[in-house]
Amino acid sequence: MNRYILKRLVYLAVTLLVITTLTFFLMHSLPGTPFDEDKISRLSAAQQQQIYASYGLDKPLYIQFFRYLTNMFKGDFGTSTLYLGMPVSRIVLNRILPSALIGFQAVLFGVVIGLVLGIIAAYRHNTSMDYMTMIISVLGISIPNFVVAALLQYFLGFKLGWFPVAYWESYANSILPSLALSFGVIAQIARFIRTEMLSVLQQDYILMAQSKGLSPAKILVKHALRNSILPVVTILGSIVVNLLTGSLAVESIYSVPGIGSLFVDTIKANDYSTILGLTVFYSAFYVVVILIIDILYCLIDPRIRLASAKE
Amino acid sequence: MKKAIKSVIAALLVVSTLAGCSSFTGTQSSGTAAQGESASAGSGKDSITLYLKNEIPTLNQFSASDNIAFAVLNNISEGLYRLDKENQPQPALAKDVTISDDQLTYTFTLRDGLKWSNGEPLTSKDFQFAWLRQMTADARNNYSFIMTDYITNALEYSEGKATADKVGLEAPDDTTLVVHLKAPTPYFLFLTTFVPYFPQNEAFFQKQGDNFGLGKDNLIYSGPFTISQYDAASGVTLVKNDNYWDADNVKISSAKIKIIKEQSTAMNLYKAGQLDRVELSSAEVPSYKEDPEFSTNTIFRTQFLQINTTAEGTKNVNIRKAISCAIDNDLLANTILNNGSEAAVGVVPGTMSSGVTGKKFSSFQNGLKTFDVAKAKEYWKKGVAELGKEPQLSIVLDDDTETKDVGTFIQSQLKDNLGIDVTLDSKTKEARRTLMKSSDYQMGVNAWGADYDDAMTYIQLWADHSVINGFRGNFIDESYDKAISDAKAEVDTEKRAEILASAEKYLISDQTVIVPLYYMGSAYLTKSNVKDLFVTHAGTLELKHVSVQ
Amino acid sequence: MQSGPISDELFRPSVKNKEELEHISRPNLTAFQDGWLRLSKNKGSVCSLILLILLVILALAGPHLTQFTYYGTDYNATYQAPSMLHWFGTDKFGRDQWARVWYGTRISLLIAVVAAALDLIVGVSYGAVSALFGGKVDAVMQRFIEILVGIPNLIFVILLMMLMPASVWTLILAMSISGWVNMARLVRAEILKLKNQEFVLAARVLGTSDRDIIRKHMIPNTIGVIVINTMFTIPSAIFTEAFLSFIGIGLQEPKASLGVLINSGFQVINSHVYLLLIPAAVIVLIMVCFSILGDGMRDAFDPRMRN
Repeated sequence: MNRYILKRLVYLAVTLLVITTLTFFLMHSLPGTPFDEDKISRLSAAQQQQIYASYGLDKPLYIQFFRYLTNMFKGDFGTSTLYLGMPVSRIVLNRILPSALIGFQAVLFGVVIGLVLGIIAAYRHNTSMDYMTMIISVLGISIPNFVVAALLQYFLGFKLGWFPVAYWESYANSILPSLALSFGVIAQIARFIRTEMLSVLQQDYILMAQSKGLSPAKILVKHALRNSILPVVTILGSIVVNLLTGSLAVESIYSVPGIGSLFVDTIKANDYSTILGLTVFYSAFYVVVILIIDILYCLIDPRIRLASAKE
Repeated sequence: MKKAIKSVIAALLVVSTLAGCSSFTGTQSSGTAAQGESASAGSGKDSITLYLKNEIPTLNQFSASDNIAFAVLNNISEGLYRLDKENQPQPALAKDVTISDDQLTYTFTLRDGLKWSNGEPLTSKDFQFAWLRQMTADARNNYSFIMTDYITNALEYSEGKATADKVGLEAPDDTTLVVHLKAPTPYFLFLTTFVPYFPQNEAFFQKQGDNFGLGKDNLIYSGPFTISQYDAASGVTLVKNDNYWDADNVKISSAKIKIIKEQSTAMNLYKAGQLDRVELSSAEVPSYKEDPEFSTNTIFRTQFLQINTTAEGTKNVNIRKAISCAIDNDLLANTILNNGSEAAVGVVPGTMSSGVTGKKFSSFQNGLKTFDVAKAKEYWKKGVAELGKEPQLSIVLDDDTETKDVGTFIQSQLKDNLGIDVTLDSKTKEARRTLMKSSDYQMGVNAWGADYDDAMTYIQLWADHSVINGFRGNFIDESYDKAISDAKAEVDTEKRAEILASAEKYLISDQTVIVPLYYMGSAYLTKSNVKDLFVTHAGTLELKHVSVQ
Repeated sequence: MQSGPISDELFRPSVKNKEELEHISRPNLTAFQDGWLRLSKNKGSVCSLILLILLVILALAGPHLTQFTYYGTDYNATYQAPSMLHWFGTDKFGRDQWARVWYGTRISLLIAVVAAALDLIVGVSYGAVSALFGGKVDAVMQRFIEILVGIPNLIFVILLMMLMPASVWTLILAMSISGWVNMARLVRAEILKLKNQEFVLAARVLGTSDRDIIRKHMIPNTIGVIVINTMFTIPSAIFTEAFLSFIGIGLQEPKASLGVLINSGFQVINSHVYLLLIPAAVIVLIMVCFSILGDGMRDAFDPRMRN
C-alpha cells in the first residue's frame, strides 16, 4: 500500500507539471493580451513597447514559460494583471477560504441528508416515502442553483430575516449559500444510494443477515450501506472539487468574495499568471482528492484490488 | 476495516477543523473591522452604505484605470482641483492658479499646511513625483498619454529620450507647481481633477515598494477619507480623514462600499435598509419612476457602432449611411435600456462643455445622426448598386448583457427597416478587441469614456494614426486630421468649438465612420435622508459632500 | 465433467411429460424486448415517456402554432404578461415567449441528448477499458483524465468558440471535452468491484473474450449507475450551456435555449417573474420525466432486478 501511494505521488507531480505546461500554452493562445488594447492604441509605439517589456511579454513564449516554471518552483506565482500588482498566491488564498467553507458545509449537509433520504427511499421502496425522496431529488437537480439561492435569500433572508441577506461578515453569512449549494448534492447522493441499495438489498448476504435476526438498522448500515457507497465515493470527488472551488452564481448572489468569479474573470481578462496559479492549485487539489478516493475504494471494498497495488 | 473507517473519519474531522479555522480567520478579520466601524460610526446616522458592481481591481493610483477603482481613489485622495455638483473644477489641494496669457503656463499655488494622513506635509514635490511617474510605463494604468499629450517634453521623457529636469514641470518651492503645456488646453483644470493627476508621497511610496496599494496600511491618504478596511472582493470601509484640509465640511464619519454583483441582491438589501442607494434594472424603472427616491444620471461615456471603412461591404459610404439611418436611437434608449441612458446624436455628449463660458457643446452640434427609414432604404439601394451585390454584414460585440441587448436591437432594426439579416458575433472583451485591432471585422460595438470634459477627448480619436487604426475603422482622412490640429492650435474658444463640431459632423454624417448609439446612464433609488450624493460626469463617485439627515 | 468409467446402471430412463416439455414459463425474448416489456408495465415510466414525446412534439411544432416567430421583435409590446395573443407573454424586445420557450426547448433537448449520448459512449467505454485492462493502461488512462480535468474547462471552451463558428455543435463539442469524465470514473469503479466477482471469473474460465465480458457481463451489471449518471448528465448539460450563456459565451442572439431564457428571466425576477417561471417549469418537467423514465429503465434493464 505504501509503495502504491508513493508511486501515485510521483505520478501526481508529473500530472501537475503536464497540466501547468498545457494550461500555459493554451492560455497564451487565447486571443488578445492582458491589456486594454483600445486604450494602449492611444500610446506611442515606444511607450507600447515599454509596456509589453515590463511584463516580459516581449520575449519568446518558451522563455516566458521557463521563467514562469523557475519562479514557480521558488514559490513565486507572479502578480496579477487584472488585480494589478497583487501577488497571485495572496489572491488565491484570500478567495479560496470563503468558497472552501461554503463548499465544505454544502457537502456536509448534502452527504448527510442525501444518505438518510437515499437509505429511507430504498428501504421503503415504492412507498410514499420513496416517491417523496425522489421528488426532492428530481427538484434538487432540475432547479438551477441560482434560482434556489435567490429564493432562499428572498424568503429566509429578506422576508423572515433569519439569516443575513448577503455579504461576508460573520459565520451566519455562510449558511444560506451552503444550503443553496447543498440541494444538488442531496439530490445526487440520494439517488445513487437508493439505486445501489435496491440491488444490494436483494443480495443473498442481506437475506442471510435478516435470517440471522439482525436488526434492520444494523443490516442497512453495516451490510447494505457499505456495499452501496462506492458510486457515492466516486462522484463525491468531483462534487467536493467543484464545490470547494466555488460556484459563480451562488457566490455572486450572496456577495461572497469566493473563487467562483475569479476563474471566469481572470480567464476572460487574459490574466495569465492568476489563471496558472489557480489551475495549479485547483488541479493539485483535484489530483489529491482522486488519490484519497482511490485509497478509499480499497478500504471500503476489500474486493477491489487496485491494479498497481498488486505489483 | 474498522480501523480504516475510523482513520477516514479522523481525516474528515481534521479537514473540517481546518476548514473551520480558515473560516475563522476570514470572519475574524471582518468581524473586528465591523466592531471598529460601529465604534466609529457612533449613532450610525452619519454613515452610509453603497455598493460597486464589480471587484476593486487596485487601489494603486498608478495602476487604476477604471471607474470602480476611481470611485474609491477619488474619495481617499485629491488633486489640485475637485469637481463640484455642477461638474465644474473647484480649487482643492490648490488654492489658486495663474494662467499665462498664451495659456501655455499654469502656476498653481497649494494651500498652506496640507498634510498626508500620516501627518507629513504635502508639497508640490509630491505632485512632481507622481506626475513624472505617471508619464512612464511604470504607471501600469497605461494612462501616460493623459500627461504626455499636454506637458512639454513629457513624451520624450516617457520614451527615455529626455531627462526628468527637461519636462515642463517645476516645483520651485513647497507650495508652487508650474506646468508648461505644449498647446493651449482649455480643459487643463478638468484634467487635474482626474486620479492620474493626483499627488503621491515619494518616501512612503518607495518604502512600500511592491506592496504599495495592496492593503489599507500600504496606502497614504490625501483626500476626505481614509480606509479602515479593504478587501478587493468584498469592499472597502472609508472613515473621515482628520488630516484633510477641509475636514470640517466632510459631514459623514464613515462610508461602507460593498461589492454586489447581482442586481436582485442589491434590491433586497436596499429594501431591507442595508443599502442607501440601488441601481435599477431597465425592467424595474417603470414601477419606480414616480417614486420620490428615483433619480437618473448620465455620464460621459458614449456607446457607438464602429464601422470598418476598409472591410468588404462597409467600405461603401452609402451602405454605412444606410445602417446609420436605419437605427432608431430613441427607441433603444427609452425602450430597451430605459435606465437613464440618453439617445446619442453625436459621439460627443451634448452636455459637455464647449470651452466657451455658458455654452454647452450641444449648441454647436447640428446635423448629426438621424433616424429616417426612407432615406436608409435609398442609401442602401444606392450602396448595393455601387457594390454590385448585397453585402453580408456582421457585428462583433462584447459578451455582457447590456451590449448583447444593444446588438440584438441593432440586428432587429436592420431586419425591420432594411430587410437584411445581420449576424451577431459576441466575444470576450479581449477577443473583440483583438478582432478590431487587426481590422478583422465589419462593424463593432465599442464605447469610449471621456477622460476630461471636452469634445477633444472624443474627436481626436479618429485623427490619431500613431499606431493602430483598426479600432477607429481604418479611417484616415487628411481634412479631418487638419481640422483637429487646427482646433488644437486655436486660442479662440468659440472658433475652436466650431471646428470640433464640424469635424464631428464630417465623421458622422458625411463619412459615417461611426454610428453613435447612446450616452450611458443609470437609474437609482436613493434613501430620502441621503443628500448630495452624486456621480460626476466622468462616472466617478463623489462622497465629500454627502450628508445623512 | 471429465469423463470417467461410467456404467450403465447409473442411468435411469426419464419419464417424458409432453406438456411440461412444451411449456415455456416465460416468453422467449431478447434482453431488449424483455426490458421493453417490463418498462411498458411501469405506469410512471409510460406516463413520462408520453409526456416527453409530447414535449418533443411541442419543441418541434410549438413555435409554428403561433403567428409570431422566436426572433420577431415588437417594441410596442415589450414585457407583456401572458395573454390570449402572447400565450407566454413577451420579453424585453417584445418577442413572443411561447415561440421562444419551445424553440429553446428544442435547442436544450438537442444539447442534452447529444451531450448525454457522447458522455455515455465515451465515458462507458473509457471507464470499462481502463478498469478491465488495469495496470499500466489504467494508470495512464486515469492520469489523462486528471490532466483533462485539471485544465480549466473554460479555456477549452473559449478557444473552441474562437476557432470554430459559434454554433450549437461547437457548444456541444466544447462541453463534451471533459463532460464524460464522471461517467468514466463511475464505470471504472463499478467494474473494479465486479471484476473479481465469481461470475466474471466463471466467464473467463469459459473462455469468454474481453469484449464480451465487457458487453455481456460488466455493462449490464453497471447499468444502474450508468442510467442514473446519464440522468444527471442531461440537466448538467442544460445547465452548463446556461452557465456559458450566463458568462456570455454561448449561443448568439436571437437564438435561445432554456438556459438562456432562465438567465434572462432571472434578471427580471423582481418585475416580470413569468419570464423565469415558464422556462424553469419546462426544465423541471423535462427533468422529472427523464428521471422517472430513467428509474423505470434501470429497473427494467438491470439483470439483478429480474424477478
